[in-house]
Amino acid sequence: MPVMTYIDAINTALDEEMTRDEQVFIIGEDVGKMGGVFKATKGLQEKFGVDRVIDSPLAEGVIVSSSIGAAMAGMRPVAEIQFADFITPAMDAITQQAAKLRYRSAGTQTCPLTVRVCYGGGVGGGLYHSQTNTSWFIHTPGLVVVAPSTAYDAKGLLKSAIRDDNPVMFFEHKKLYRSVKEEVPDEDFTVPLMKAEVKKSGSDLTVISYGYTLQLSLQAAEKMKQQHGVDVEVVDLRTLVPLDKDTFLESVARTNRVVIVHEDNRTLGIGAEISAVIAEQAFDCLDAPITRVTAPDVPAVPFSAPLEHFYMPSVEKIVAAMERTIRY
Amino acid sequence: MATQVERITTFPNFAGDSAFAIGEYEQKSLPLAVETLQRLYSYMLKCRTVEERIRILFRQGRFAGNYFAAVGQEATQVGVTMDLLPEDTIAPSHRNFITHIMKGTPLPQLLAQIYGRKTSPDQGRSAPAHCGYAPLNIITPASTIAAQLNIGTGIALAYKMRQQRNVVVALSGEGSTSLGFWHEAVNFAGLHKLPMVIVVENNGWAESVPVTLQTAVTDISEKAKAYGIPGVTVDGNDVVEVYQAARTAITRAREGQGPTLLECKTYRWYGHSEIDPAKYREPREVQEWKGRDPIPRMERFLEEQGIWTNDWKQNLLKEFEAEIEQAIAFAEASPFPEPEEALDHVYSFDIRERELAPKTWEPKLGR
Ligand SMILES: Cc1ncc(C[n+]2csc(CCOP(=O)(O)OP(=O)(O)O)c2C)c(N)n1
Repeated sequence: MPVMTYIDAINTALDEEMTRDEQVFIIGEDVGKMGGVFKATKGLQEKFGVDRVIDSPLAEGVIVSSSIGAAMAGMRPVAEIQFADFITPAMDAITQQAAKLRYRSAGTQTCPLTVRVCYGGGVGGGLYHSQTNTSWFIHTPGLVVVAPSTAYDAKGLLKSAIRDDNPVMFFEHKKLYRSVKEEVPDEDFTVPLMKAEVKKSGSDLTVISYGYTLQLSLQAAEKMKQQHGVDVEVVDLRTLVPLDKDTFLESVARTNRVVIVHEDNRTLGIGAEISAVIAEQAFDCLDAPITRVTAPDVPAVPFSAPLEHFYMPSVEKIVAAMERTIRY
Repeated sequence: MATQVERITTFPNFAGDSAFAIGEYEQKSLPLAVETLQRLYSYMLKCRTVEERIRILFRQGRFAGNYFAAVGQEATQVGVTMDLLPEDTIAPSHRNFITHIMKGTPLPQLLAQIYGRKTSPDQGRSAPAHCGYAPLNIITPASTIAAQLNIGTGIALAYKMRQQRNVVVALSGEGSTSLGFWHEAVNFAGLHKLPMVIVVENNGWAESVPVTLQTAVTDISEKAKAYGIPGVTVDGNDVVEVYQAARTAITRAREGQGPTLLECKTYRWYGHSEIDPAKYREPREVQEWKGRDPIPRMERFLEEQGIWTNDWKQNLLKEFEAEIEQAIAFAEASPFPEPEEALDHVYSFDIRERELAPKTWEPKLGR
């Protein structure tokens, strides 16, 4: 089995899906000859031609809305948003068009679209190249929102997203692109959407996360074991909407303690929803208050290193939250 | 200019098999075939009849929504859509309800849409102004102005990729041309030579804002220059002129020569919607435009050619009115959707159970 980075996994998934299905095409800024600013589409235009890997004009609105139209006509477009921060010109297309199309047409018009969004901080990207704005989309029913944390999941989930008949927002954390590496099968496999996964089982505390902070949570779990002998279970949401509640509720029912970690701003981030679900549906299972580790409610990710460090969730912050929860 | 593509009528109950022989076309050197002229006329008449009837229904309080009538603009909407094939796409705006009639969406279903009934194309979901019809490729865009144009580019892109000889006719008002993504769409269509006709129905007003506060150009079609595509302005109240310009544009698009921006200068007789008394306009302006009503204008023209009689018109009207009455009866007899249907068609899978009966966790044993 080849060892792949997260970005290789994405590139392989795109390659395989385009080979498998002629209706799949890519559109986005710099996705052609350049292969994308992060090289997610490297080599694909050479292989599949300029008509299937389209270098779009600098216009996110039309990148997504032309993809929606093509999807309505039965194609399977994969649109790339170079930086999540620049998705705002496409917000109408995503939230008003793609998300509502099936609903408003009573299922007679559908939108099998994948929008790949590069997001996330921790790389010194500054105010407009670091944002985690998954909450904008998890608040929009009709969209499926996916955010893999591993290379294996990145490949398997992207393939599922492309084959799915719903509009899928596929969030790729830029810090994961080259920092995680693992064995990923070279052959065709998929990872199901809408299924969370217990990435590490444990009996004393549940940590729920996704994306880059899932990796941080795994490291924090390791520290808890070493330093305190605490056995932490790590739940990876993988799909943020529709949320696989059962997997984390079952986990909380086993461990009775929960820490939620995300890089999105705190207010109305997914942690708020997960807390509410646990409070409503599994209140009796809790031995300690629910704890959240999130980015603060500031308008953007600051550039200067100490500021960004303060902004981002970290292993230390997660460990501290776990300790508090265990000690309660 | 002769179109290369065979025209397929999707008009469900075309009432135009009149007494006039099609062969007369040659002798009279008419601009178009007799049958075409008569069809253009009778479509306009039908659309007018339907919309005026809907306006009455609104004033009678027989449906709950609102309506955006295109009365006065029939020549434009009929002219640009008459030659479309079922496989072609219409990307309509809020004021294009009658393009459904042109494409062939069954009238009873359309009336059911107005009444929000289960039997409508989208089972009562969207307001009448924004309904689509999938079987005949009428897209269902959101209400965001100009958005349909952007979605239309993608459908045109798919046609091009698959080498399908189909076109997308996207319609919007002059107000839409001020939006950023109107320009994104036209730029993209021009760049990829997409098979599109971008129709701007310049009716002078975007709600209460006159076109002079909308843009500094006199002819919206000038904007085409910026995108390397032809821009044409026509008298939007002259159905023959609109039809001919549209046919040229549609043929160009079908033959892979790319999009055309077609501006039709026209006027809406009534308010922006049924709840707008349109007090911002001078009565004189309205009167002037009513004087340019495309329907009597076409009647005079056809009569001069000896291919129109009042009897024929009255017969058409009778037929249209009967059809509308039936459609209204169908709509009013149709059930409303069940309340829980609000949870359907969110995703490709069902969420009803999840929403209605969420799992409640069992309390831990021994607690
Ligand atoms: C982006 C957006 N802004 C505002 C509105 C509200 N609105 C609906 S129709 C309309 C005027 C449209 O004018 P125009 O494009 O000229 O079309 P017309 O109504 O004249 O046919 C406005 C402001 C909207 N639907 N979408």
